Amino acid sequence: MARKRSSDPVSPTPVPSDPEAPFWRKNRRELTFLLAFVVLLGGSFTLISLNWVNDHVIEPFTGGVARVSGATLDLLGQDVRMQGTIIRSGKFAVNIRNGCNGVEAMLIFLAAVLAFPAPWRARLLGLAIGAVAIQAVNLVRVVALFLTGAYFPSWFDASHTVVWQTVVILFSVLLWILWANRLAAPREPLVG
Amino acid sequence: MTTGKPRMSWAARLARNALLWLIPVWAAWALLTPFYNRFLITASENLLHITESPNATRIIPSGRHDALVTRRDLPPSKNLAHSFRVTDVHFHLVLLGALFLAVPGVPWRRRLENLGWAVLVAVFFDLFLCFFVVKAAYATKLGSWSLAHYGPFARNAYGLTRHLLDLPFKLGLPLLLWAAFYLERLLEEVRIKR
Repeated sequence: MARKRSSDPVSPTPVPSDPEAPFWRKNRRELTFLLAFVVLLGGSFTLISLNWVNDHVIEPFTGGVARVSGATLDLLGQDVRMQGTIIRSGKFAVNIRNGCNGVEAMLIFLAAVLAFPAPWRARLLGLAIGAVAIQAVNLVRVVALFLTGAYFPSWFDASHTVVWQTVVILFSVLLWILWANRLAAPREPLVG
Repeated sequence: MTTGKPRMSWAARLARNALLWLIPVWAAWALLTPFYNRFLITASENLLHITESPNATRIIPSGRHDALVTRRDLPPSKNLAHSFRVTDVHFHLVLLGALFLAVPGVPWRRRLENLGWAVLVAVFFDLFLCFFVVKAAYATKLGSWSLAHYGPFARNAYGLTRHLLDLPFKLGLPLLLWAAFYLERLLEEVRIKR
């Protein structure tokens, strides 16, 4: 019966094994995922908002993101100078702060990967690949934003908040879906 | 017609569709943003009035994207000049729309129905986020007035709630809602791959 359902590509929701079961039991996997995702997301963001964690982990990490971004812009011939987390050229200056360091997208990805029913090996592999990929996209974001600010300054505000934040978060969500589809295998039978 | 050509996986088709939907959803969102901003400003002002007696908060639209928060009970010299970008509150709707419209193998009627429910939840979320943006400003940004009207616990609670709603939950909401509707489908795909 389960085989028949899985081969039907237009069946969005498989028929639950016991239609008489209470809501929480029928949707146990979804509810477990959603609860774990919310707890992990809230917990991790609360953790990074602590002063000690911010000063000893997030700020140095943000400094590293700024240095790599500055070096990339230098390679692109932008002649930038670094002042802490500020990247400055003759045309434009940008301060890399929390929110521009890709940590939010990484934590959303981390919470989704850890909440999904998968073996630890797949989770660790996913987290490693995801962290690198999200930072790569974030590097493109910082460089693109700097160039936008330097050459199309009127577009900077919208690009900064709406465009690139959407792109980076969408990337992390799609990365999670692809990871779940390719690398994750459930720990328990999914049907019955 | 497609013989010999390897079929893309469900997840890969979803990713491709999401990228394709991004631009049209963006355009629709940009078109509706001025109206939605007005709605959020009015609705969140009314929500704030529920917690006030007498009604003191005024949220005034400022340009296409911003809002200015003022209080009637403050002298003009101490008027709160707190403004926030209303458009930043709800840009996650772009992500939400693209993700919900992109799911392959689901009939259109079902996709739109799910999107409608998800948008409804997101509207309530945006409303509460606006509420907490203003409350956090009252609790932490008005100097002696804040200290006189909010205790340390309230200041921390409003500040942390605003922080959590404004960053992780605003950005994570599309994934959360998508999972609420389509996690079963994703798990089914994982099971087929096994």
